[in-house]
Amino acid sequence: MASAESQPRFGQSVKGLLSDKVGSCSGDVIALTRQVLKGSRSQELLGQAARNMVIQEDAILHSEDSLRKMSIITTHLQYHVEHSKNLQDQLRHLLN
Amino acid sequence: MAATGEEAAKMDCILRVSLAHPTVLSLGGSSEPRGEPGETASEGQEVVTAAPKKPINNSDGGVETAEEAVEPAEPDINELCTDMFDKMAVFLQGELTGTCEDYHLLENMNKLTSLKYMEMKDISINISRNLQDLNHKYASLQPYLDQINQIEEQVSSLEQAAYKLDTYSKKLEAKFKKLEKR
Repeated sequence: MASAESQPRFGQSVKGLLSDKVGSCSGDVIALTRQVLKGSRSQELLGQAARNMVIQEDAILHSEDSLRKMSIITTHLQYHVEHSKNLQDQLRHLLN
Repeated sequence: MAATGEEAAKMDCILRVSLAHPTVLSLGGSSEPRGEPGETASEGQEVVTAAPKKPINNSDGGVETAEEAVEPAEPDINELCTDMFDKMAVFLQGELTGTCEDYHLLENMNKLTSLKYMEMKDISINISRNLQDLNHKYASLQPYLDQINQIEEQVSSLEQAAYKLDTYSKKLEAKFKKLEKR
């Protein structure tokens, strides 16, 4: 294809040839850019990574929720222990 | 001669194609205004109202020559070229921006996830510290809990003894009443 275009076309003006050449170069640059992007597979890999992240988001939120609940439960247990410390004095008095 | 005739026919066809699609560019802005209004159209060539001139086929001594079809240079050719390259740059920038935006999206998602994990790490550190304190406190409470268990066992055995005593005292009372009646 390129060789056919590079061959001089008889009867065509230099301007026409030049414009064709510019057009073909522009098309080549665009095709090259697209091919580079396609060959890097960035679109595919990034899309897959985003999808995996979305799948994991639910698990992350659930884990965070569970951790918050655990922190609340430990706080309640601390309150119980604090209350039981008051009972220690009563128990000591009772045993003595 | 036949070959040159065929070549001339081919050139005519090509010229028709080139005249149907007027070119924009000029060679370094050099214009070749060859004004020859007196020229007539060669055989088979269409009369085009556009600027390009028709090549002249001079056949002198069997050699056909042709002159280049010259178009008058457009005054805004530089502007058009600049516009063309600008738009091409914008197009290429847009093509690359798509991938960049994907990376930005993934970067933001990763940042948010790392923040979430840091929060979860802080929460889990607090939980761990609190649980360690609780374990220490429960360890200190353990003797008291053992004593409470002992007390509970002793109280239950005392209760059993009291029941037995109560039963025995009732039996004793019944026997005493029986003996008293005699």
